[in-house]
Amino acid sequence: MTELDHRVRGVDHAAFPTFDPAGTVRFYRDVLGFPVVHSICAAGWGPEDHPDFIHFFFDIGNDDRIAFFYYFGIEPFNQSGRGDSYAAFGPDVPEYFIRSRHLAIHVDSQEDLLEYRRRLDNSQWPVEMQIQHETIESIYTHDPNGYMVELTRAMRPVTPQEDLDANLTIDALLDVVDAPEPTFAKLLARKAELIVARAAQWEAAQAQESNA
Amino acid sequence: MTTLYVLDVPENTPLAKVASEDHAVTVGKIGPYFEISADAAIVIDRRATGCRHAVWYSSVAGVADGRITQHDKDALRVEPA
Repeated sequence: MTELDHRVRGVDHAAFPTFDPAGTVRFYRDVLGFPVVHSICAAGWGPEDHPDFIHFFFDIGNDDRIAFFYYFGIEPFNQSGRGDSYAAFGPDVPEYFIRSRHLAIHVDSQEDLLEYRRRLDNSQWPVEMQIQHETIESIYTHDPNGYMVELTRAMRPVTPQEDLDANLTIDALLDVVDAPEPTFAKLLARKAELIVARAAQWEAAQAQESNA
Repeated sequence: MTTLYVLDVPENTPLAKVASEDHAVTVGKIGPYFEISADAAIVIDRRATGCRHAVWYSSVAGVADGRITQHDKDALRVEPA
């Protein structure tokens, strides 16, 4: 449990390298409609071997931004076929692992999700998957740099019991990975113990809240 | 006694309902969880629950005194340890 007060205000920006600035601008600005909100033209910056670069930002809503670095005069480092502008992966790396790294951008409704689906499907980066997860629905594509981008909407609000469950999961996970050979079965067994240990406390807190 | 814990959220309620249709299975509540218990195996048919796959495969919160021997598109089976 943490007693640290929560002072952060979302994502200022997440930054990635690009070797295709034109495609990147077409994808984020012209297809998705994310405004360009900031750019830095940096010449002669850093150590001598540091190329001149452009650092540019798109508004992804909520005053959050996604940003890219374009470095002049360098060729892509990763040409192996799998991966993205940042990293390449060999044949031994499973696809699920490569896809685990992604940026998910929030929308408020299914109508909004389908609007972005329409914009992407009309572009050269059509939606690759549309999936209803447990409580969210998402569309996915890869941007011109090979980064996986998800747009997602909540199908219902998150409930207090889900927050409790998430904390139980993480506490159980920390216990299980602290011991040798962590497995999913061990996690479920540890969670069962924590459920029994903490249920009464949770019920009391809920009762107090509904009386307040 | 083998116990399966499932978080009580709207997506999971059909799972608890289907489990309760087996007379050898007891379904109660503990905190915000369904507590699904039996002396023998607990078997839940996925199609009977109508759960989407993403819900189905993430519905198990905990297992006490048992182990999952099947959790696929057909059924969830928890057997005594």
